Amino acid sequence: MSRAASTWLSEAVAVFTKDWRCELRTRYALNTVLLFALTTLVVVSVALGPLGADQQARGAVLPMLLWLILLFAAAAGLPRVFGHEEEKHTATALRLAATPSALFAGKLAFSLVLFFAIEALTAPLFLAMMQLPVAHPGRFVAALAAGGYGLAAASTLVAAIVGQARGQSTLFAVLSFPVLLPLLLLAIAATRAAVLGGDAGAELTQLVLYDASMTIVGLMLFPVIWNP
Amino acid sequence: MRRILPWLLWLWLALVIWAAFFYAPLAEGFVGQSSRILFFHVPMAWVSFVAFLAAGAWSIRFLAGGRRERDDHAAEAAVQLGLLFCVLATVTGAIWAKVMWGAYWNWDPRQTSIVLAMLFYAAYLALRTAVEEPEARRRLAAAYAVLGLVVAPFLFFVLPRLTFSLHPDTVVNTRGRVEMESRMLQVLAASSLAFTVLFFWIHRIQVRLKARAERALPGRTTP
Repeated sequence: MSRAASTWLSEAVAVFTKDWRCELRTRYALNTVLLFALTTLVVVSVALGPLGADQQARGAVLPMLLWLILLFAAAAGLPRVFGHEEEKHTATALRLAATPSALFAGKLAFSLVLFFAIEALTAPLFLAMMQLPVAHPGRFVAALAAGGYGLAAASTLVAAIVGQARGQSTLFAVLSFPVLLPLLLLAIAATRAAVLGGDAGAELTQLVLYDASMTIVGLMLFPVIWNP
Repeated sequence: MRRILPWLLWLWLALVIWAAFFYAPLAEGFVGQSSRILFFHVPMAWVSFVAFLAAGAWSIRFLAGGRRERDDHAAEAAVQLGLLFCVLATVTGAIWAKVMWGAYWNWDPRQTSIVLAMLFYAAYLALRTAVEEPEARRRLAAAYAVLGLVVAPFLFFVLPRLTFSLHPDTVVNTRGRVEMESRMLQVLAASSLAFTVLFFWIHRIQVRLKARAERALPGRTTP
């Protein structure tokens, strides 16, 4: 590995470890986002009940509700990835210390781990509380992984934009939802297919395509967003 | 010449409107005269597409080419006008949908795409109002517009394939051919051209107005 690549990687890893160390000290994001996901899950579950939805409609409706819970959990937690750097005035130090693209990679890795953890806790609980059998568990996990990656990547990028603006939390929802909606529709279609036992190949390919384009555009745009 | 051009444009537009009603024949399989809305609906959709594409191009030029204010003004004006044409395309489409499909709105994939595009570019304008510092506002808005170029293919090519659509074939259809009566095609081409020129004409005026407003800001010295 060349020297430049190894410093880039070590910078990204340093950002990632720094963020997790801060996070584990306060557990702010983990606690709030997880509790947010749990609360919405309980609300949905109570409102709908295990027998609330019509048997035929369950396979179509419940995957959508799962993704809505995940979307709002992401909107509750992920803007903080950059928000707290600006709030605590540590952003300038980060600007001086790290290569922008490495910083983005580190932040993206942080969001990914956080979001996958939330998915890993929310999704099984959702399936259990809703008593929703999954026809293809493998495809279900693939849909969650591909959808979750895109959700975390796009949210991280939008969080970087919103971090420098006023009214962060409302603005985040306004800016990120149009970007996330195509992903969400694809993810819902893929999850629905996994639950009902249909073919999700095309949707999963398109999800991976979305993930890849978000990662590439993130690495290219982030230096512009980050550096005045 | 400058004076005559707008008048030529008005004449051209008047001719297009006349031709849409009296020259072009009706399309087969449409209720009553409803197919005539094509000559206005399609150009609106086309112009908003061009406007958003141009806004992305100007944003890239702003970010990559020396951060000139002019490019940022051009991108902002293109988004504002693009949104206007986008609304017109949606409304004309909804009126036609009421006549043909019996409902103004039914979340046909094309309707979904156009609403998402509108939401995205409205968010672009919201972002501009949320950043006070001009340099940051230009930089962040341009970055968001470039992000739009990445999302657009998913809106216009991936989503419409996700579910069955009632929307008639686009002008160049999926079989890669233009299948339209020649007089209709003439009017449609003339109309698209007219509205594209109209867009760039208004756009030019908007950019000049923005530059003037920028110069008039207090506390700013002009060279």
